[in-house]
Amino acid sequence: MTSTTFDRKAEMNLPKPPARRKRRIAKHLVHLFLLPALVFYVGFMIYPIFQALLNSLFAWKGLTRGPFIGLQNFVRLFTETPFKETFVRALGHNVTFFIGLVLTKLVVAFILALLINSKIRGKELFKTLYFVPKLLSVIVVGFLFSLILNPTYGALNTLLAAIGLEGLARPWLGDPHTALYAIIIVNSWYGFGFAMLIFLVGLQAISQEVYEAARIDGASGLKMIFTITLPLAMPSIMIMTILTFIGAFETFELIYAMQGNNGAPYFSTDVLGLYFYRLTFGSVSGGESIGIGSALAVVLLVLISCATAVSMFFFKRREVEH
Amino acid sequence: MKRSKWYIGSLMLLLSSIVTACGGGSAAKPADAKPSDAKPAASGGEAAKPKGDPVKLVMYSWRPEDKDGYAKIVAEFEKDNPDIKVEFKPFKSTEYNTILTNALQSGTGVDVLQLRPYDGAKALADAGYLTPVDKVKGIENIPDSYLDAARGSDKKVYGIPIMLNNAVIFYNKKLFDDNGLQVPQTWDEFVKTCDALKAKNIIPIAQSGKAAYLLSTTHAVIGPSAYGGGTDFMNAVLSGATNFKDAKFVESIKRMKQLEAYFPKDFVAIEDKDAQALFYTSKAAMYINGSQRLETFETNKVAFPVEFMPGLSGKKGDPAPIATWVDGSYGIAKSSKHQEQALKLIEFIASKKFGQMYSDELTRVSPINGVAPKHPQLQKMAAYAEKNSTPYLLLTKFSQGTPTTKTTFEDSLQGMYIGKLTPEKVAEDTQASADKWFKPQK
Repeated sequence: MTSTTFDRKAEMNLPKPPARRKRRIAKHLVHLFLLPALVFYVGFMIYPIFQALLNSLFAWKGLTRGPFIGLQNFVRLFTETPFKETFVRALGHNVTFFIGLVLTKLVVAFILALLINSKIRGKELFKTLYFVPKLLSVIVVGFLFSLILNPTYGALNTLLAAIGLEGLARPWLGDPHTALYAIIIVNSWYGFGFAMLIFLVGLQAISQEVYEAARIDGASGLKMIFTITLPLAMPSIMIMTILTFIGAFETFELIYAMQGNNGAPYFSTDVLGLYFYRLTFGSVSGGESIGIGSALAVVLLVLISCATAVSMFFFKRREVEH
Repeated sequence: MKRSKWYIGSLMLLLSSIVTACGGGSAAKPADAKPSDAKPAASGGEAAKPKGDPVKLVMYSWRPEDKDGYAKIVAEFEKDNPDIKVEFKPFKSTEYNTILTNALQSGTGVDVLQLRPYDGAKALADAGYLTPVDKVKGIENIPDSYLDAARGSDKKVYGIPIMLNNAVIFYNKKLFDDNGLQVPQTWDEFVKTCDALKAKNIIPIAQSGKAAYLLSTTHAVIGPSAYGGGTDFMNAVLSGATNFKDAKFVESIKRMKQLEAYFPKDFVAIEDKDAQALFYTSKAAMYINGSQRLETFETNKVAFPVEFMPGLSGKKGDPAPIATWVDGSYGIAKSSKHQEQALKLIEFIASKKFGQMYSDELTRVSPINGVAPKHPQLQKMAAYAEKNSTPYLLLTKFSQGTPTTKTTFEDSLQGMYIGKLTPEKVAEDTQASADKWFKPQK
């Protein structure tokens, strides 16, 4: 678009030989506009990745980098107690987090998107209402839900007691059986509005003619959803599933805000992001290990990249099939 | 072809300048500034001022709640040193280490910094991020045992200790009096007192378990009732004569487990501020924490007289041990370009004038000889400490390893309270953590 504008100007106002030259310059000049973004991308994304990779190959004493030790930090991460046990436990929680988010965030968001996409009244109001949580800071959300789920004076337990269900009241964030699920639900509440909007865009892109043709052929209700809506909305489902996967494996702030850096109680809500933070920066009493922390960061990067690539491949195949 | 080469060349140049600019990072070596360095250069986040303008020193702390007290202390320093301005920059305690690490690695942002005691200070000193302060005037007024909290492996002192902390059992005197309860002196009496309070529907101890470090503070108070006050047990562990699997230490953990019945319901899910609220509203009779909480009680205008019991004696009639440790010191960042001015500030921190102001304004016990606390409770704590102080063993000697042995211990206590670990397993895990780095001093 921009280069076309330059081309036209050049053709109209300037004599031929210099015009061609200017056109050429302008054509390449456009690329310069990408540079600021590239500088930030390299400085804040690429450089830290290489720095983490480099750090993971050295021995560390506190904050001081020691000699080159090859892959020993990776070996320690996967073979030494308590690193290996903590890694496996945290990875398991990340997987649970992802599955939980798919079930509570994506499924709910898709159903809501279907409802809003149908002819209901006040759809704009619902869209806005559902999106509001996303406008809050994750830390604020964490703080608010810590208050709501507080076992002593929290709104949830108070409400349960008020409606005669005090038997269901529990220390949601202090019980190892409920803490992780409580955080998954909070995370879903925070993010389902955004997922719903993405699904809605996908649904609105499906031509009404396809539905009309299906109706003529006798399809209706759930059959249309499974045979027409879902396959044709696959691009938006793919985007949201991959984003949710990345989010689930990168999750840190909400759990840190609600459960502290050890994923209380006793690592019941520990995830790889928190584990990385503890390894790299230590706790109040210290104990950081930048080498092993960096090794974990590299593992996390590889894990997310591979899983994302595999899921994209899977989804693309599904798209082709339909 | 030529043009694309030119583009690629420019891009590479750009990338290499970015990498160079970002260079150093976590691998950066500490700056090698000398105290006499007077070149105008970046420090404390700003360039050094030309002669005549006051120099700004940035002072880091993990105590945002002390900001008002420091304002008065800093004003006093600036009055005597008009050529120096001090910016007191406190950060939330749980985020302090991360922020400090980044500042020290980048060599900017901080001139004078609060050091975590013992192994925390040692790690920074050994990494070469601190300027030694051995020769500072006034350091001779601080006992050697307190200076140990800021010593490097080279035995040099890198920080001036500013406060002693005592972990004690605070209690609501009115509740005790109203219910005809005597202050317990031994473990057995303590359990009976807790039972009596529970029978009257009063929560005996306002304990929070969400932040695991609070559990190890409580253990520092309760533990010596099982393994003994003083330094005998600590010396035995340090010499290798015993370790954390010792029956006495396991017993101390069992006593922590026994206390679960006297903590608030679901205490693992509540935060320290919630526990404090239970104590302030007289729903709970006792609250275990450090002497720094005296200031919190005053800020919150607690409506009843708060007294304390130091700890629990092994035998009735023996002096009760009181857990005592240095809870922080101030050192100089080696990267500071204002070493001379920072040394002046450190000299002030080592003075009796600072010690007295700090003790009075912030309700703490100063480690400086000759400084007597004004607060009557602090005076009592100091008197107990003189008779029978006992170290906070895990904090003072076992804050090394990844995770630290102290962190492993307190996390394991949390695990014990949610039914994942037995007291024996807590001791075993703690010892396993120590075994990875600790060598007994035979």
